[in-house]
Amino acid sequence: MFDQSACAACPAHNINNLVKLGIDMKNFDYVVALAGNPNTGKSTVFNALTGLKQHTGNWPGKTVTRAEGGFKYGTKKYKIVDLPGTYSLLSTSVDEEIARDFILFGQPDVTVIIADATRLERNLNLVLQVLEITDRAVLCLNLIDEAQRHRIKIDDRALSKELGIPVIPTAARQNLGIPELLKAIDEVATGIYVCRPHRITAEFRKVSRAVNDLQKKISREFPGLPNTRWIALRLLEGDQKIINALKTGELQNLAVNTVPD
Amino acid sequence: MSPATLLIIGIIILSAFAFVIWPDRGILARWKKIRVDSKRVFIEDALKHLYDCEYKNTVCTLNGIANFLGISNEKASRLANLLLEMKLVNILENSIQLTAEGRSYALRVIRIHRLWERYLADQTSLGSTEWHKEAELKEHSLSESQVNELAAQLGNPLNDPHGDPIPSEELQMPEKRGEPISALKNGEFATIIHLEDEPKEIYAQLVAEGLYPGMQIRMLDQNALRVIFEADGEETVLAPVFAANITVIPIKEKENIQESFHTLSSLKKGESAVVAGISNAMRGLQRRRLFDFGLVPGTKITAMMDSFGGDPIAYEIRSSIIALRKNQTDFIYVKDVERRSKNV
Amino acid sequence: MNRLINNSKDLILASANKMRWEIGESLHDSIIEAIYKDAEKIASRVVIKDQAKPKFDWDSTIDRLVTSRVLGLPIMVLLLSVVFYITIVGANYPSDLIADVLIGKIYPWLKSTAAALSVPSWISGVSIDGAYLAMAWVVSVMLPPMAIFFPMFTLLEDFGYLPRVAFNLDGIYKKVGAHGKQALTMSMGFGCNAAGVIAARIIDSPRERLIAIITNNFSLCNGRWPTQILIATIFIGGAVPAYLAGVVSAASVVFIAVLGIAFSFLVSWGLSKTILRGEASTFSLELPPYRPPRILQTLYTSLIDRTIFVLRRAVIFALPAGVVIWLVANVKIDGISIAEYFIDSVNPFAFLLGLNGVILLAYVIAIPANEIVIPTVLMLTVLVAKLHGIGAGAGVMFQTDSISDTASVLQTGGWTLLTGINLMLFSLLHNPCSTTIYTIYKETKSIKWAIVSTLLPILLGFIVTFFVAQIWRLFVN
Repeated sequence: MFDQSACAACPAHNINNLVKLGIDMKNFDYVVALAGNPNTGKSTVFNALTGLKQHTGNWPGKTVTRAEGGFKYGTKKYKIVDLPGTYSLLSTSVDEEIARDFILFGQPDVTVIIADATRLERNLNLVLQVLEITDRAVLCLNLIDEAQRHRIKIDDRALSKELGIPVIPTAARQNLGIPELLKAIDEVATGIYVCRPHRITAEFRKVSRAVNDLQKKISREFPGLPNTRWIALRLLEGDQKIINALKTGELQNLAVNTVPD
Repeated sequence: MSPATLLIIGIIILSAFAFVIWPDRGILARWKKIRVDSKRVFIEDALKHLYDCEYKNTVCTLNGIANFLGISNEKASRLANLLLEMKLVNILENSIQLTAEGRSYALRVIRIHRLWERYLADQTSLGSTEWHKEAELKEHSLSESQVNELAAQLGNPLNDPHGDPIPSEELQMPEKRGEPISALKNGEFATIIHLEDEPKEIYAQLVAEGLYPGMQIRMLDQNALRVIFEADGEETVLAPVFAANITVIPIKEKENIQESFHTLSSLKKGESAVVAGISNAMRGLQRRRLFDFGLVPGTKITAMMDSFGGDPIAYEIRSSIIALRKNQTDFIYVKDVERRSKNV
Repeated sequence: MNRLINNSKDLILASANKMRWEIGESLHDSIIEAIYKDAEKIASRVVIKDQAKPKFDWDSTIDRLVTSRVLGLPIMVLLLSVVFYITIVGANYPSDLIADVLIGKIYPWLKSTAAALSVPSWISGVSIDGAYLAMAWVVSVMLPPMAIFFPMFTLLEDFGYLPRVAFNLDGIYKKVGAHGKQALTMSMGFGCNAAGVIAARIIDSPRERLIAIITNNFSLCNGRWPTQILIATIFIGGAVPAYLAGVVSAASVVFIAVLGIAFSFLVSWGLSKTILRGEASTFSLELPPYRPPRILQTLYTSLIDRTIFVLRRAVIFALPAGVVIWLVANVKIDGISIAEYFIDSVNPFAFLLGLNGVILLAYVIAIPANEIVIPTVLMLTVLVAKLHGIGAGAGVMFQTDSISDTASVLQTGGWTLLTGINLMLFSLLHNPCSTTIYTIYKETKSIKWAIVSTLLPILLGFIVTFFVAQIWRLFVN
């Protein structure tokens, strides 16, 4: 346990859970998850990263089956898993549950979140939700060419500071920004870049006391668990997966990567 | 055979077929209803009724059971004896009470009933008057593991769509809350927390008035003939018998009180407004889909385009264009409407 | 120790549950609101929008145009008609070319090679006359229209126009309990029902998606257009004065296609009111911004994803069907083929429907693809009527060189105007091809829905042809 957390460059993924989720990790060093709203060019980014040709279309929700691919960067081999496109991780649809469980329990080494630069505000909904459950993420600000066409400029360095993760503007259709994206993925995976993810600051009406109370109880039970507030909120929302994970003690696994004090 | 004979035979076969499979009234549908074990139904319905009495702190009599189930007193007393034999009730001098075992049986049935209503309300397009009817059938057929699975899938909901609490997996129920609407003073604000779904006629009337749990109201006036209150900005008048089926919680804090709003459907092409809230009548998947599009209180929204028939209408929300149907926009409240500026 | 831990976990859950009752169910709303509040704050700091109005706003101009009350509908009809016209007309030449190579050149070569190697006739019959020929037929008739239709459709889709069509037509679909996007899956079905069924993925509401899948078969697919046109030309065109023949037969084909659309609405309505009443249902439709389509990429991916995908499934089903077709015509018991036994036994039933046993058998054994129905019908007619000198031998599918030859074969088989009309109706209202049935199973992961989608149209077909036949015999004869 100590060894693992001492090694900054070691893979962080949860191999047991990944295998349970059906990912064959035999020949790979790191695993990358691809999340994003529907219709943000997620499949295009996936194709650009892997060199595969998966059909992409101007329709929300094209990718129904889970696509997997791989790429090599430097000497490291990366497995890349394209998660279903979702607007959120909080609703109860099957797609969202798949994406949520993969990021939370599979603990990919990097989660790449694809956002549509022309609708950043709405896309940030998903980005912020992902950052609640993982602290190793890269934001891929796709369709930056479309944003330019619509005279929208985005200060990606300021955004990176706000979110605490690398932000890479790309135009995946023209293959622009892909090398930079690969580099950022590698830096986060190998621990060269340490993320300080943004956590939601706004107070929740009426419930902050209940949340604080529950949060304390959870961190006492599972020392080292990174985001107890999020777990507390899920419990208060009656999320069965989280209730089960708490009952079976599986939640403790998620704390392995942090240094126990 | 001549074509005419065949034609007639064909029509007869077709109508016979329709007679068998017609939804609700066909032979197949009737047979399904009959097939439900009627003894079990009586037992479970009686237990439900007994629990209801207990929850409301009223006394339950044999007469009450007979009335509730629509059976003769004699039949009801036989049923009561059966329940006694099964050790589900204790029969006292002039009342019938649940045993601990009977209570948890009743709660199990209530849990299924309310969860199923919740499922129908959240995830299907069935109308609110049908929830109860469907759940009455379903409550006698789901197994415990099926129910728990359903609850997990729905996110372990707390209340059914009428505002009644759903017993938890451990069969716990919260204390009864709220007070009848008649307890409100004139001018007092309150939130509806429950609409009683029996009898059906009264419930249908309350639904027709547009009332739903979570709705905010303001008592205007009440006397022996009528109860007058403001609901979502509209004046509603009910006979006291009808109003008695509404349970409310008075609102104390000032900040929570809604002003009267316009609905999004009243927004004309080219006009903008700010979202004030989404009605609680917009539930489940539908509600979450709206959140996905960023439709939360405080969001600016502009009506952009009409489709051929005028429904749906496309709105700009956070730089995306989203089409919404009128049966959605009727339940979205907006404020600060900017009327269309003159064409320049 | 372990027990203690479990207890403390249960305590957490118990206190969470207690709090839930106190907080109520508005928590989800507050969480979402809080997230958007943060999102707004961040976006306001990093997004710089050019306030100056652009000289010309393409997106809203196009949107105004395609949703306008005056121009919207004509634009839609025009665009879709152009797509279908190019598909039907443009497919003829490559179709002939492929048929020329696969059936005109390779097939005789295979036959003569087999003869030269003195391969037993039943082996060459099963493999060359059966499997190969069925496969060749499916490829030559199916490939070109799909290779033309899908890329064009995909270009419209990628550009962003199709969601506007769904938006415009949603009002009608809402009335029958369906989703506006069904307009697109239906249009896709005119190309190929299997592709239409896959396209139903774009509908994210479970109930509306099932409705779209089950009713897709009512779109007259590419494989059925040639049948319609051929039969309409022979029987309906032949029943009116020569100068009207072209117009009337074309109109009758269009009528069948429109009838299909009417049935898809009717059945959608019926399904949403009955067996799909309690299924989950929501509505959402986002109109994405217009994006310049990338033509080369689209050509490539739509060819790989849709055309080859569907074709591969069709070929897989065509091969064994070809074998079956050859066997039923050639395996003989007491000198009579299985096909004749079957045809004789179903003839009385087929008569009730105004059809004949040959047609029913053809629809049973040509289930892999509607494209091979007519060649099978011709082969069986020749077989049953014991015609000599027509076709390529017993149990070998063929097509004649001219329409009048086909007409004379069918007339010898006892076909009348009623047979023609009811075949056109039955071609619209019968079970989907096996490729589509399999695709429905794959997409819904449910045998139940695959069976419903198979039996529902065939039942409707029986009912409609039965009543048409009786009324026809009552009033016309």
